[in-house]
Amino acid sequence: MENIIEVHDLAYQYPDADQRAALDGVSFDVHPGEWLAIVGHNGSGKSTLAKALDGLLPFTQGTVTVGGVVLSPETVWQVRAQIGMIFQNPDNQFVGATVEDDVAFGLENRQVPRDQMLTRVAAALDRVGMTKFANRAPSSLSGGQKQRVALAGIVAMAPKILILDEATSMLDPQGRQAMLALVKELHREQQLTVISITHDIDEAASANRILVIDDGHLIEENVPAAIFAQGERLMDLGLDVPFTAKLAAALQQRGITPPTGYQTTQEMEEWLWQSLSNTSATPTKPTHP
Amino acid sequence: MVVAITFEHVGYTYQADTPLATPALDDVSLTVPDHGYLAVIGHTGSGKSTLIQQLNALLKPTTGQLTVDEFTITPTTTNADLKPLRQHVGMVFQFPESQLFEETIQKDIAFGPQNFGMAETDALALADQMLTQVGLDASYAQRSPFELSGGQMRRVAIAGVLAMHPQVLVLDEPTAGLDPQGRQEMMALFDRLHRERGLTIVLVTHQMEDVAQYAEQVAVMRQGKLVKEGTPQEIFGDPDWLRANQLDVPRAAQFAQDLTAHGVTWPQGLPLTASALADQLAAQWPKGGAAHV
Ligand SMILES: Nc1ncnc2c1ncn2[C@@H]1O[C@H](COP(=O)(O)OP(=O)(O)OP(=O)(O)O)[C@@H](O)[C@H]1O
Ligand SMILES: Nc1ncnc2c1ncn2[C@@H]1O[C@H](COP(=O)(O)OP(=O)(O)OP(=O)(O)O)[C@@H](O)[C@H]1O
Ligand SMILES: [Mg+2]
Ligand SMILES: [Mg+2]
Repeated sequence: MENIIEVHDLAYQYPDADQRAALDGVSFDVHPGEWLAIVGHNGSGKSTLAKALDGLLPFTQGTVTVGGVVLSPETVWQVRAQIGMIFQNPDNQFVGATVEDDVAFGLENRQVPRDQMLTRVAAALDRVGMTKFANRAPSSLSGGQKQRVALAGIVAMAPKILILDEATSMLDPQGRQAMLALVKELHREQQLTVISITHDIDEAASANRILVIDDGHLIEENVPAAIFAQGERLMDLGLDVPFTAKLAAALQQRGITPPTGYQTTQEMEEWLWQSLSNTSATPTKPTHP
Repeated sequence: MVVAITFEHVGYTYQADTPLATPALDDVSLTVPDHGYLAVIGHTGSGKSTLIQQLNALLKPTTGQLTVDEFTITPTTTNADLKPLRQHVGMVFQFPESQLFEETIQKDIAFGPQNFGMAETDALALADQMLTQVGLDASYAQRSPFELSGGQMRRVAIAGVLAMHPQVLVLDEPTAGLDPQGRQEMMALFDRLHRERGLTIVLVTHQMEDVAQYAEQVAVMRQGKLVKEGTPQEIFGDPDWLRANQLDVPRAAQFAQDLTAHGVTWPQGLPLTASALADQLAAQWPKGGAAHV
């Protein structure tokens, strides 16, 4: 299967900086319809990478190929037309005077006919639960409302590739789940390729594969279960430790030995109630009468 | 009880008296004790940011009034005499960019203290010290605050507020965008300031784990109204009600509830953190299993 994104030996250094390169020799591929999570500590280069993919950075080393098009100043619009991006700060994203105009903007750019545009905008606002706010100025929305509107822009545009840069960081717990569920639906229904930059372990768990960036380098690449099995070290990678691992560590401190390796919530719960209902022993330990 | 903060029937409408008027707070009454730690939670758009921006009079009540220690803020409070209030109440905004403006990070952090009368050299030294407190090394001092990653900007904004040594610290989703390590460190830092220096803290957050671990008092907002208030135990003790309000219980409480379905009981009350959960599990662990580790 052909890759939808290919990144080869990408490097970038911000202009003024006597700092180190923000990206250094990064290479990876993304398959069509894949869900890829990118994680890493603050300042590791995640947003820089996202901007590079969207043709927003004049990188001088390496190549980026999106849908068969090699990114260059000449092809940047061809590349951008395939990508819907939600920025880390939604304020950097809004261009319309009203929420409705803003969601329509991407469609106007793509010369979608007006009647079609109106239905698509209305449907998108409905899917993110922001219909009531169609005529409001984006700047007057609450933080979470802004993030919902940013997602509506993507829903309306229906791009091939979606890049989410911490797009759910200001949503309430259920809102976050609802927006994640919406992205999952799009991913399924439209074979959308998803790249999600996140510190949220649930969001990372939704991915087929996780890339770990550290100080501009790609240091690891694996399926979520393998990444999550690293326990306490996950903190260094810019991810939270899964709850089951935190609980396992707390139990260990109290003289109880849980099964080794990454446990899903369900596996951990099952092991616990079975151990508790077994009055003489735990399944992992032989009894010493 | 010595009271630090009192909201008395506070109402707030954005663009009041215009066709675009948007009511955002409706008759909110609430008190926070001196040295208290209040968490404000609620659905997106429920009025949390609007509520806490009353505390330094960035927004002034349309109706009702509030007091913060010796300060009283009413609909007619003028901007003329707000300087002492702004020094007393430090605020970290939801979007950190909005509070950065100087040309270097060091100057940005030093601005507040200098504005309130500290000598320049002292303020710059304090800025360097604050920078390390928020996990950024000295190499950042001379860089522009706008040429930073999202999480780094957040840290600089926090450093700038802490440098003013406020007595009341108001935090609007202060850990959004921070990596989990940074989140833990910042929450621990706020907690230290609360316990050791007696700061009164008001925290807006969607992280129920942090509410369970740090807050002493929780206020739940819905559509501009304060709909529930109590201790974390009281608020999280009613998971169904919380879910009906778009909120959730902490992971540990959810986990414990799932175990309840299998007959496990919680004599000390529903545990809200991993360590509280482990305590209660250990207490009822079968003897043979726990003894030989
Ligand atoms: N406009 C800029 N000018 C100069 N340096 C920058 C600029 N933006 C970011 N940097 C630097 O580049 C590095 C990578 O930043 P980037 O924004 O890609 O990090 P990130 O992984 O997205 O972090 P976060 O989790 O905090 O959002 C950081 O060290 C940052 O200080
Ligand atoms: N400048 C403004 N003009 C008009 N309405 C506003 C303005 N700022 C906020 N609002 C509205 O007031 C209501 C409360 O907003 P607020 O920002 O207080 O919510 P919040 O609880 O902080 O939400 P979030 O969790 O998403 O940050 C929302 O419906 C919002 O759209
Ligand atoms: Mg970033
Ligand atoms: Mg808010």
